[in-house]
Amino acid sequence: MSIKLGFKKSSIAITALLLSIGMTAKAGVVYDYIKNNNELMIATDANWAPFSYINDAGEMEGFDVDVAREIAKRMGVEARFITPAWDVITSGNWNMRWDVSVGSMTPTASRSEVLNFPAVYYYTPAAFAVHTDSPVTTLAGLNGKNVCTTAASTWEMYLQGNLDMLDAPAFTYKVTPGTITSLVDGSACLDDTRLGAGVRNDAVIDSVPMLQNAIDSGYPIKFLGDNAFYEPLSIATDKGNNDPELDAEIARIIAEMQKDYTLTTLSMKWFKNADGSSNDYTVAY
Amino acid sequence: MFVDTVVEDKALHKPAFLIGLSVAVLAFFFAFNFTNTIFGEFLSPVIGNPEESGLFGRFVVSFVLSVIFVLNLLAISFARLKIQILIVWFELFLLFLAFAYSFDLKLSFIQSRIGLMISKGLFTTIYISAVSIVIATAIAIVGAIAKLSNNGFAYAIASFYTSLFRGLPLLLQVYLIYKGLPQLGFMVDAIPSGIAALSLCYGAYMTEIFRAGIQSIPKGQWEASRALGFKSGLILRKIILPQSIPIIVPPTGNQFIAMLKDSSLVSVLGIWELMYLAKTLGQRDFRHMEMLLTAAMIYWGLTIILEMIQARIERKYQQKT
Repeated sequence: MSIKLGFKKSSIAITALLLSIGMTAKAGVVYDYIKNNNELMIATDANWAPFSYINDAGEMEGFDVDVAREIAKRMGVEARFITPAWDVITSGNWNMRWDVSVGSMTPTASRSEVLNFPAVYYYTPAAFAVHTDSPVTTLAGLNGKNVCTTAASTWEMYLQGNLDMLDAPAFTYKVTPGTITSLVDGSACLDDTRLGAGVRNDAVIDSVPMLQNAIDSGYPIKFLGDNAFYEPLSIATDKGNNDPELDAEIARIIAEMQKDYTLTTLSMKWFKNADGSSNDYTVAY
Repeated sequence: MFVDTVVEDKALHKPAFLIGLSVAVLAFFFAFNFTNTIFGEFLSPVIGNPEESGLFGRFVVSFVLSVIFVLNLLAISFARLKIQILIVWFELFLLFLAFAYSFDLKLSFIQSRIGLMISKGLFTTIYISAVSIVIATAIAIVGAIAKLSNNGFAYAIASFYTSLFRGLPLLLQVYLIYKGLPQLGFMVDAIPSGIAALSLCYGAYMTEIFRAGIQSIPKGQWEASRALGFKSGLILRKIILPQSIPIIVPPTGNQFIAMLKDSSLVSVLGIWELMYLAKTLGQRDFRHMEMLLTAAMIYWGLTIILEMIQARIERKYQQKT
């Protein structure tokens, strides 16, 4: 990450603020800024392999990162990444610190109060995992137990029983945990899980590719039962700086990437199963 | 330290103390059963299979360990003071290494990423700390003078500032500045937000240090300078401040060291400094301990360098006075 003082965007942020008083922001402010600046600022997580992480060379890498680079390329601008904490992204009010989030965000009713979701680009299942020595054998066995997950995630909402996904397939709450341990960095849950069943938590819920990645890295964990639910994952933009032109452009690019199989290719590249076969998560189940 | 003219015998060389210590150490090692560790394996010719050796094995292992421990202390006690300090440092460091080794670290993993930790993480940490230190020092000088002035506005503003910024956790200040300022129309990026929070927080602490340093100079100095016809600004600059610097330096050095480590709090804003990279770099391969321990060693090394610089500055001012 290069070091820059952030004042160059302040004038446009003030303009946007003034415009938003009394009327919705003028169409195209953010998109014009991206074009003029020749740079798309993308917020994504740096702690969530294989979706997005920092590689040995100090660059962002992963499925989300490849999708984001492709979007910037098709817009004809450079891609730049910024890595705020997940709850900072989902709480909205970006104030043009960054332009879009390409971070596998599930559209929910509560998030849509502060964010726009211009395009769903893939779908992943979420699942529970337990320590290989865990006595729990069914999802119902987790009722009343301690389950760990990422703070402000859809998995946390699922555990709390208030998951309000938009345009998602029907699901049921199969687990009612006794305690929910929410960590800012959800991957730290697995470090607790590997200490043993019931030591710091009894189970963890996360996205299937992430858990598979942990298993491949030699973590003593195993999937428990069927997938808990399927979630659509979308690009997000800021409602505070509402820009229909940017949203339309993103929707157009994602549709194009679906049509020419770019998304499928990327999904096959990043999401492997234990037996080495690939997953195409870009089609709705 | 104060050097006493009466030199007493070393406590370790008194038989009563030595026996008491040996028994205490033996009890300690016996209480924390070391039979199933590498020491038990080492003594297996005497005690047989460590797992089945029972109380006898446990006693033999703890006895051998305590003999080694006490003999080591005795041997060190005969050396000169400087050598003693060196040996004890070295042995404690070995213990720390053994602690790190017990995590089963993968050294090649550290090697592949340490370049990035230093070129990006360490650089950003030093950059943020250095800028914050300069700004905080400037704030502290102004704040201290304001707190000592007779001007009601200056005093009120300075005391309100120190009260507020010493009264809030630094992490909270980081969030307030990063999330709050944009709501007022000032778009501040992550790094300037972090620097602002660190400078304001440490500026408040250092204001109090500078104020106490200036106040510790006896009133007679002011009165004598007045009698010689100096103006108050000149008295402060040429007579009071030079005398208070030796008093200010040690606690200020402490603040610098504390700030260097508190700069890790800005990692919550996604700045790629040492702590952030330590948390994220090991993530893909699920090797967190490697990166955390590497960052720990880098922070420690930096602190040692700062301590040495501080000692040097202190010596310089001690010679002058």
